[in-house]
Amino acid sequence: MSAALAGIELYRKLARDGLFADVYQTRSSFIVAASDAECALLETHATALTSVGVGIERLAGERLRQRYPVLSPNARLAIEVQDEGHAIGYKIVHRLLTAAGVIVERASTVDRLLVDHDGYVRGVATEKGVVLADAVIIAAGNGSARLLGLDGVLRPRKGQLLVTERAPALNAAMPGAIMSGRYLLSKGSQAGDLATRSRGFGLVIDPLGTGQFLIGGTREDSDAGQSNDLAAVSRILADAVSLVPGLAGVRLLRAFAGVRTAVADGLPLVGALPGLRNAYLATGFEGDGICLGPVAGRAIAQLACAKHPAFDITAFDPGRFAGIGVAA
Amino acid sequence: MFDRDVIVVGGGPAGIAAAIEAARAGLSVDILEQRPSLGGAIYRQPIEGVAPIRQSRAALNRYAELMSALTAFVVGLRHMSVFLGMDGDGLVLFEDRGAGTVKSLRARAVVIAVGAVETVHPRPGWQLPGVSTAGGLQVMMKETGRPPQRRVLLAGSGPLLVAVAAQMIRLGNPPVAIVEAGDPFGSIRDGLGLLRFPGLLADALSYLLTVVASRTPWQRGTTLMSIERTRSGLEATLKDRNGTMRTMTADRIGLHDGIRANDFGLHPAAIDMPCGPIVIHAGDCREALGAVAAAADGARAGRQVARLLTAASSSTDEIERQLVRERKAQALLAQLFSPVNPPAPLSSLPRDTILCRCEGRTAGDLHSLIGPSDVLSGREVKHNGRFAMGACQGRFCATHVAALMNELRPGHPPVHAKDLIGQRWPLRPTSIAGLTHVASDDIENDQFRKVDANL
Repeated sequence: MSAALAGIELYRKLARDGLFADVYQTRSSFIVAASDAECALLETHATALTSVGVGIERLAGERLRQRYPVLSPNARLAIEVQDEGHAIGYKIVHRLLTAAGVIVERASTVDRLLVDHDGYVRGVATEKGVVLADAVIIAAGNGSARLLGLDGVLRPRKGQLLVTERAPALNAAMPGAIMSGRYLLSKGSQAGDLATRSRGFGLVIDPLGTGQFLIGGTREDSDAGQSNDLAAVSRILADAVSLVPGLAGVRLLRAFAGVRTAVADGLPLVGALPGLRNAYLATGFEGDGICLGPVAGRAIAQLACAKHPAFDITAFDPGRFAGIGVAA
Repeated sequence: MFDRDVIVVGGGPAGIAAAIEAARAGLSVDILEQRPSLGGAIYRQPIEGVAPIRQSRAALNRYAELMSALTAFVVGLRHMSVFLGMDGDGLVLFEDRGAGTVKSLRARAVVIAVGAVETVHPRPGWQLPGVSTAGGLQVMMKETGRPPQRRVLLAGSGPLLVAVAAQMIRLGNPPVAIVEAGDPFGSIRDGLGLLRFPGLLADALSYLLTVVASRTPWQRGTTLMSIERTRSGLEATLKDRNGTMRTMTADRIGLHDGIRANDFGLHPAAIDMPCGPIVIHAGDCREALGAVAAAADGARAGRQVARLLTAASSSTDEIERQLVRERKAQALLAQLFSPVNPPAPLSSLPRDTILCRCEGRTAGDLHSLIGPSDVLSGREVKHNGRFAMGACQGRFCATHVAALMNELRPGHPPVHAKDLIGQRWPLRPTSIAGLTHVASDDIENDQFRKVDANL
């Protein structure tokens, strides 16, 4: 939670400074409960949010209808989480790359790190040749496992997402993203029962600036990152319509899928690689990478430049997993 | 486990021929057709109560033969069924427009025969209301029996422009002109080459004689450069072979720069799938060679499916020879209609020229994304430029966006349209209500019909 707050804080700063001025937006998001179980879970979550200083409002009955008029009558309780951030991942990536003037060597697979016997990393070997460097930062998602021999530490967690056509009136009537209380159940499962739960559904409906909706999604133990299946898409849409009935009259524009990188204990891997003098790892955000990516990236850059990271990453230390190291 | 042995997507000549051959081998076959009747774009049937427009005897015979062969077999016809793609589990998905729901079918093999796409080069003003494809105008005439109204200008390149003009003339509204970038009369030798393809020649002569008799101007070696909306209509700027510019005004403009294969968003061909169905592309969507070749290629696909799923061993050698011949005919036509002056590169388009019609993205938007140093991938250009992200899923713009990217970043590996489009379903915007009521299609209770002889 404190990491997420630090992530949002950096977004706010970069928005104030101008870099993210037009790509970051502050708005509320709403967590909605429709059943007794969800209501109970939501009350607990609300208490947790309040305790760390997040501004919330508890909405029910007439107040809920006023604040979120397009919500289904089935919705019994909602928590409005104030001052949440909203940003589109690929826009943030493009903005950061452009600002940094970084040239990306696309379509270049790194085969391995070039490690001297004293633990100094000289660079990387790619299919296109050797690239030498003073420091190496691995932020390769699930691909990090192959480079570092992280057997059993990282798991691909597929997500399926949907985008609708524009529906400006419905979009304008939604003051922020809504999330089904069930999402908390699905997300909460990630740490403990990674091995047992093969597919979870959690509903998020995000009104985009274009007038479209982004609707998600699944959390699946699968690396079939390119494919969407009818069963999942139909289920997500049915859940979405039961929360916002007006979506039934909108058309689905496209479905897409991707693979998140999950860590066995549910926490990201951010920090120096044990046994190596100048190599660092930043991965395993499992779907929180848009929020945490910039703040984690800055911390890693500070580490690599021998500065103290401005954000406490001790809980994310890759060294907490024994045997983390470089594949021979 | 399987609803059908074979699902054929598309009820044009390729799809019908594929269904015939698969059914002949004893396989159970359904055809998915988005329209109320079979025929595809080439043999598009008129809507109810409309008399069919005049077609050449040869074309009528070809269609009649296909349909009569089809009626000899039990083939399920699913009209008003719009193909949405294949999902990650290998299910064939379609929107049943009659029932208003999305349905799925599991098959051992899928033949994709969805026809060609019409090529239209981007030009300033090509997105204006009143501008459409010439092929679109032709299909409309076949369905409604009426020509497009008021002053119509046909422009671009290829024999289809002459065919559309002739059909408009026969229906009583000759186009104001046909503007043709090539000059098919320019080379006697190439023209004589047509004598080797009498069928093609007969069709061409029939259309040409109609155009000549009506004194419709056929302006060869001339390119339509841009279109502007003025008070008197759509003003087209034309450039002739000597570079002289002039304007012509019309109320509608039909553009056409040829046809091409269609793999936009479609599942790739897959013969040897460990799991999931066999997928074969057939007809103009695989290789745009016209109606005769499409039927032959469909038959080839049907026999291939039969060989893979049964002990059938029907040969496709003769079909291969026929395809070689049709390929030569199309190459000759392409040569005859090759532009007199080479087309201008896309990078010379004015920056405000629309590339993506769905999202209103311009050539200038793409120029500004292609920086001098860091070279974005097709996918990054898609996301950050919002190209190929609209309702058409990139059918209109992706090819042009990829071509312009390649012009702007020489020396880098070429970007292809599929880098922007990817391969995903739904292929078309689909009703969410329909998708929430989806269920595996109940074959027993479904209104599926055997082909009847009245069609």
